[in-house]
Amino acid sequence: MNATKAWHIMRKELRMGPRSPLFLYALVLPVVMTFIIVGVFGSLFAPSPRLGIVDEGNSAVVPAAQELDGIEVTTMASIDTLKSMVEANDLDAGLVLSDGFDSAVRDGTRPPLVFYVGGESLASNRIILQVTALDLVRQVTGEPAPVAVDIVTIGDAEAVPIATRMVPLLMMYAVAIAGAFVPAASIVEEKEKGTINSVLVTPATVTDFLAGKAGLGIVLAMATGIITLLLNNAFGNHPFTLTLALLVAAVMMAEIGLILGIFAKDSNMLFALMKSGGVLLFYPVVFYIWPSLPQWIAKIAPTYWFLQPIFEVGVKDASFGDVWGQLVIAMVWIIVLIPAVRAMSKRLERQVAVSA
Amino acid sequence: MTNTGNAIEVSDLSFAYGDIQAVDGVSFSVAPGEILGFLGPNGAGKSTTIKMLTGQLRPDSGSISVLGMTMPAQTLDIQARIGVCFEEKNLYENMSGKENLDFFARLYGIKGRDFDPFLRKVGLIDRADDRVATYSKGMRQRLMMTRAMINDPDILFLDEPTDGLDPVSSQAVRNVIKAEAERGAAVILTTHDMHEADQLSDRVAFINEGRIAALDTSDNLKLEYGQRTVRIRSRNGGDVDVRVISLDESNAGDQIREAVAVEGLMTIHTEEATLEDIFIKLTGRGLDA
Repeated sequence: MNATKAWHIMRKELRMGPRSPLFLYALVLPVVMTFIIVGVFGSLFAPSPRLGIVDEGNSAVVPAAQELDGIEVTTMASIDTLKSMVEANDLDAGLVLSDGFDSAVRDGTRPPLVFYVGGESLASNRIILQVTALDLVRQVTGEPAPVAVDIVTIGDAEAVPIATRMVPLLMMYAVAIAGAFVPAASIVEEKEKGTINSVLVTPATVTDFLAGKAGLGIVLAMATGIITLLLNNAFGNHPFTLTLALLVAAVMMAEIGLILGIFAKDSNMLFALMKSGGVLLFYPVVFYIWPSLPQWIAKIAPTYWFLQPIFEVGVKDASFGDVWGQLVIAMVWIIVLIPAVRAMSKRLERQVAVSA
Repeated sequence: MTNTGNAIEVSDLSFAYGDIQAVDGVSFSVAPGEILGFLGPNGAGKSTTIKMLTGQLRPDSGSISVLGMTMPAQTLDIQARIGVCFEEKNLYENMSGKENLDFFARLYGIKGRDFDPFLRKVGLIDRADDRVATYSKGMRQRLMMTRAMINDPDILFLDEPTDGLDPVSSQAVRNVIKAEAERGAAVILTTHDMHEADQLSDRVAFINEGRIAALDTSDNLKLEYGQRTVRIRSRNGGDVDVRVISLDESNAGDQIREAVAVEGLMTIHTEEATLEDIFIKLTGRGLDA
């Protein structure tokens, strides 16, 4: 294989991609699906509670509030500014801490605490902010909480939200469309239009041609995979391991794309193959959405072996040590597919030679 | 195979698609700067022969030497020095003319080449940045020709290069072919158009049923296989007399002098055989069969 020629073929695809509806579809689909699924099941559009504080003294409440996770805290000098921001729904609530507030609390004189609430703010955010504010004030006194809170998890403690369980489905769409379908469709188009014939009478070989197409699939699948994980807040804390798992997914999908693209005689046949054969690639995602189903069935599919490490690392914060075995099995699948790709490349040579 | 200085040397070449013998013991050579017309009906074996010469098919038997190199052992080295213009307009339609040329140039290892002289030569300079999808058939054909020349090839394989083109585009393409031959490129011109083959080719090869039925200059073929006649029409009272005199007869001169001496002479036409006549005579079938 000549890497330079393969690069030129891939470069041509990437440069011309924005002019191809399918290429754009592959990039946009996971984003659109993420917005739909998170919009339906998740809280992508629900902002964190936003609290504004006017601190007229030097209250310990402010730094304590700023250290809290999940709450956006903004300090300002003027009560009028605070009120106008709350009124404009730029803040969910506003707190005014008068001069000497902390010492008054400690003295037990019960100073007034003005809490402005935006009429258009989410009720859940208001409640969170009110409870948080009271807790922060209580901390100023330095006294322990009057009650011990016992948190009891109802249902499966290991269960993950439905929006999170959809991540493997989104990932499959992202890597299958970009990694397999785009290169497959590109190969079919080159066969249908005869452009492959003109490439193969230059010093570029079938291997260079297929490597270029595979490269296209790998780059696209990696890009859409990363975008999908970031949009779903599922990139975890082990980016190297997750990127490795994505790369394995992209390579496997690109191999499948090459096989499909060579096997399909025309676009209609390719669509039919993707619709029927796609079930075999996609079915493991069902076992994430309904975890009570027998998981061993999912493990029969080669795609499970990259979906599982991506899910474990991205969602459950697993490390390389937790998923290396699954990645090895995925790589074995990739190696198993290589002879099939080689055999199909010979078939492509014959197809091109006997074509008009 | 010894290097004879020919651009192409083919000896006893054969290829079969399953039970169908597409090419059967074909031998020929092409010299640098020579235009060889490859003539034959559909299915005669022209395209299969060209595919073997351009490295798309491996011959079942026989030998091919291209530019002193052996096919298929040195296919990539050979492909670096040939240009192929297909009958099918297989260009990337969502790319501009210039982008098409740039892509193929890079496959030949050529970077940063100025394509304007090429595009100017074929009259595409003003449309170079437009997408090929917006090109007419003639413009596409001219771009295909340009693509085939992008690596300054030593051999050009041209398949029906003027098929369906208007007279102006056809002439532009013919001029390019002649210029390439003058530059020293060997040209194999596959065509149904006998007139074009006659105009352009130094020699023509008639292919039929996988074999070369005849291979020579068109003049020699006409001399060897054609019937050279003169048709003389003259008025005889209310009738028109027609005399056809064969130039191959020993007293042809006397017969012509006698025929033109009569009163009422109307027309005299030489009736040279066309390449198509010769092809039919040799093979018993027409080129459109």
